[in-house]
Amino acid sequence: MMDFHTVILMVIGALALADIVRMVAGPTIFDRLLCFNVLSIKVVMAMTLYALMTNQSYMLDIAICYTLLSFVSTVLIAQFIRTRGML
Amino acid sequence: MEILSGALVIAGLVFALLGVIGLYRYPDFYFRILVTANIDSAGLLLLAVGIALQSPTAAFGLKIAIITVLALITSPLSAHAILRSARDTGYRIRQEERDD
Repeated sequence: MMDFHTVILMVIGALALADIVRMVAGPTIFDRLLCFNVLSIKVVMAMTLYALMTNQSYMLDIAICYTLLSFVSTVLIAQFIRTRGML
Repeated sequence: MEILSGALVIAGLVFALLGVIGLYRYPDFYFRILVTANIDSAGLLLLAVGIALQSPTAAFGLKIAIITVLALITSPLSAHAILRSARDTGYRIRQEERDD
């Protein structure tokens, strides 16, 4: 019998997989950036849940760093496209 | 407390599912970013509150609060950056899809 948190982690993984399919199939690069933004939120959700499952809080520090890094990379790529490569 | 936490986690998952459905449902990029970028931060907020109710120590809950505040600040900002990049490079809503 599976745990409640394991089922929740599997559902988050299925949603992330559907998101990756949309990222590969997206017609423009802005769709791919949006899917990356959504996917990083899914990863932060999974990290927080995993920290609760193992009762260790080091995964939460990684989640804080991941939130900031995904924000910086999304804004950097968006500005790179907006200025057509001349940052 | 366990039941309330589980209900909040499931509500957050429902919001995340609605965001992914919104990615597939709408035909144009502007509709997709309008739906998805707002829904997902609501899902993260509900799930983080649900997990913080079960937190073993006080530092655990405080870190979850830091993550939630950071995500609530940065998610609309990155959506705005993507949207401004799309508008400034000349992406427009196509006419035949707007007439549907």
